[in-house]
Amino acid sequence: MAVVGAFCVSVNREACLNAQMPGKCATCAEVCPHGVYVLDLATGQMHIQNYNACVGCRICSEFCPADAIRVNPAESEYLSRYPWTLAAVEEVHAKAQTGEYLLRGFGTQGPTPNFDMITVVPSQIASAAPRDKYREECDLEVVIGADTCERPLRLKLPFVWAAMSFGALSLEAKQALAIGAAMTGIATNTGEGGLVPAEAWLARGFADEARTRKQWDPGGYLIIQWSTGRWGVSVDYVNAGDAVEVKIGQGAKPGMGGHLLGSKVTEDVARVRGVPVGSDALSPCRYYDVQTLDDMRHMVAFLRDVTDYQLPILFKLGPSRPYADVAACIEAGADAISIDGLVGGTGCSPDIVTQGVGIPTIACIPPAVQALKDYGVHRKVKLIALGGIRSGLDAFKALALGADAVGFGSAAEIALGCRACYACHKGNCPYGITSQKPELRARLDPVEGGRRLANFIHASAEEVKILTMLSGHRAIAELTTEDLRAMDLNTAALTGLKLAGYERPLPIWEALTPRPAAEPRGANGNGLKRARPKARRVVRGKVPA
Amino acid sequence: MKTIDAKAKDLQTVNRAVRAAVNGEPVIVKHAAHLHGLAAGLKLGQVEVAGDAGDYLGVLNAGAVIHVNHDAGRYAADNMTAGTVVIDGDAGYGAGQYCYGGTVVVRGDAGDFTATMNKGALILVAGDVGDEAGTYMLKGDLVVLGNAGQNFANYLIRGTVYLGGTWQSLGHNTRQEPLTEADLAKLRGYFEQYGLQADPAQFKKIVAASAKPFYN
Ligand SMILES: Cc1cc2nc3c(=O)[nH]c(=O)nc-3n(C[C@H](O)[C@H](O)[C@H](O)COP(=O)(O)O)c2cc1C
Ligand code: SF4
Ligand code: SF4
Repeated sequence: MAVVGAFCVSVNREACLNAQMPGKCATCAEVCPHGVYVLDLATGQMHIQNYNACVGCRICSEFCPADAIRVNPAESEYLSRYPWTLAAVEEVHAKAQTGEYLLRGFGTQGPTPNFDMITVVPSQIASAAPRDKYREECDLEVVIGADTCERPLRLKLPFVWAAMSFGALSLEAKQALAIGAAMTGIATNTGEGGLVPAEAWLARGFADEARTRKQWDPGGYLIIQWSTGRWGVSVDYVNAGDAVEVKIGQGAKPGMGGHLLGSKVTEDVARVRGVPVGSDALSPCRYYDVQTLDDMRHMVAFLRDVTDYQLPILFKLGPSRPYADVAACIEAGADAISIDGLVGGTGCSPDIVTQGVGIPTIACIPPAVQALKDYGVHRKVKLIALGGIRSGLDAFKALALGADAVGFGSAAEIALGCRACYACHKGNCPYGITSQKPELRARLDPVEGGRRLANFIHASAEEVKILTMLSGHRAIAELTTEDLRAMDLNTAALTGLKLAGYERPLPIWEALTPRPAAEPRGANGNGLKRARPKARRVVRGKVPA
Repeated sequence: MKTIDAKAKDLQTVNRAVRAAVNGEPVIVKHAAHLHGLAAGLKLGQVEVAGDAGDYLGVLNAGAVIHVNHDAGRYAADNMTAGTVVIDGDAGYGAGQYCYGGTVVVRGDAGDFTATMNKGALILVAGDVGDEAGTYMLKGDLVVLGNAGQNFANYLIRGTVYLGGTWQSLGHNTRQEPLTEADLAKLRGYFEQYGLQADPAQFKKIVAASAKPFYN
């Protein structure tokens, strides 16, 4: 459901330059991604023509040179008009007028189950004593593929930039992410749009292609995404990074492939993706070249082979049946598995899919962890939680639920200046993050952007450190669900966490161990058949037969 | 010519041997039908597969010439960017998918979803193709001398599809166009190069109806 009619826009005409001198300023009309303002060309007057469309991003207020605009939440529609809120009415009108369903960028709107109703349990006298954040050490490193490949990925901090493709993002945003990764020792990810060549050296901390000048320490990593559209994929692409991620799905549109509308497929994007300029690049919803779990195993085997058994192979899942899907990834030979929750961000997706499809992140992690435990590989095959991670606090909660690391997508965009206007798909991002237009891209300086991203990572890492140490741990690998409590019944029911005050998991969870295996799926598509859980035997440098 | 007997060997062992060998003379690989991903990601060389090949033969091929003298499994020449893969027998499901360049020749029949998401290769099938061949092609040529199954060339975006026989049904976003002199010369050239007997003038040419069929 689009958030329309939820905000009141008001312009102080005393301050507004246009009101004083019609035609002098049209900044709000230029920057508003949703056409709330219009310039009357005959009179030169600005008007608010479409206040219902406002999503409350405050981009207009930020850009207004006279500080003349105020955007305030309107009275809650949910109290007075539900279910026919103005948003619902407007949505029906839009479809009735155009015959088209809505698209959306950025992510899910409105409340969904999230990390906020989980609290962190600090140490006091009865548990291991807290550790001193200011004077003691805390191990935040995460290693992926330690036992399975020659060049494991050693993340200095338990973070990655989520996969975000060139095309969805501008060149400058891609470069900023790579620089931010290099400054912090984490990994950036090509996303599914092919490789921006500079990513490969910027991510490792080099300012030049020849890699003679190391500019950013400690240097980070590049994860190469392998997806169902296979945009820009070649043997050189697969070998350009430090790990290969096999994308099965993502939180914003699980069951569908990536969407890049033709308006963002410029010559540069078309060249990197190897698609016609202006054509919609719509990735298939499944791999055309995988029909069974055995095929997936063979795909992992040849990816290991073409990367000479050097690199970890990761999987990325949308939020569907976390237990069974994670189990299938383990059986396919994953070294790490990312699972993206319901609210995971996107460059473009059908509105209803982003809003209404998938399992919330907090409900994905516990079954995913259970699958890893049942296979005897928890903390060996690494789990990366994505979807709605905004801070070190969210990250800590995901880690204590059993993830090894977390990914930031939307938060990375926001660190670059984004104000969450949900219009990334239109290609007019006023901050140059998700636009391909040269004049908008010029507003984003990759080095300055990289610095902001690195600052955000450093601050978030410190937050994780504080929380890890105050709960009595020396390393994030020691965190468990005992470090968390659910603060309401819903969250306790979704996560299996102990309910604060009650100090036990809800009885429905106590009855549910061990977890039931998922029902078998058909052999077709990517709903792959699974064998019974058994511990995976891994021989260094070799894929299990 | 060096010969590698792949019997009871795993992919890593065989592909390492192939990579070491292709730098010089052509290499023959026999008893390799159990290997999926044989000759993956080669940039040069010539590989002769004696007998059947498994799935993902020549995946990510980037310049080698790979010849199979019998049948290939599923997904032959998957995601090739350059080079040639010639299969004397039949190819299973999904031959020549996701290719950016190079040539795939199947002298027998090819399965469903052949040449899906072709982004620039020439894919030539002397026999019939199954259903959904040429789905979401973005560039390149698919030439089928025999018949096609259902939804042929479904959601074609760019590139050209030629069919010598008949289709069970034609996919969405397709349009038939008359052959030009350039088409005839091109087809004649392909047939001569790969020793195929066919009359280019009898072929149907299919192109995309709209360059942008999904979102306006
Ligand atoms: C602009 C943008 C582009 C994206 N592109 C991809 C992509 O190419 N491949 C992919 O697997 N996920 C893609 N995603 C999803 C992210 O990788 C990630 O799953 C999601 O953003 C995580 O949720 P968060 O945004 O709440 O952090 C994209 C997300 C955004 C915001
Ligand atoms: S720029 Fe954002 S806050 Fe301002 S009117 Fe447009 S949608 Fe509303
Ligand atoms: S990245 Fe740009 S277009 Fe997308 S939500 Fe943020 S400000 Fe809006």
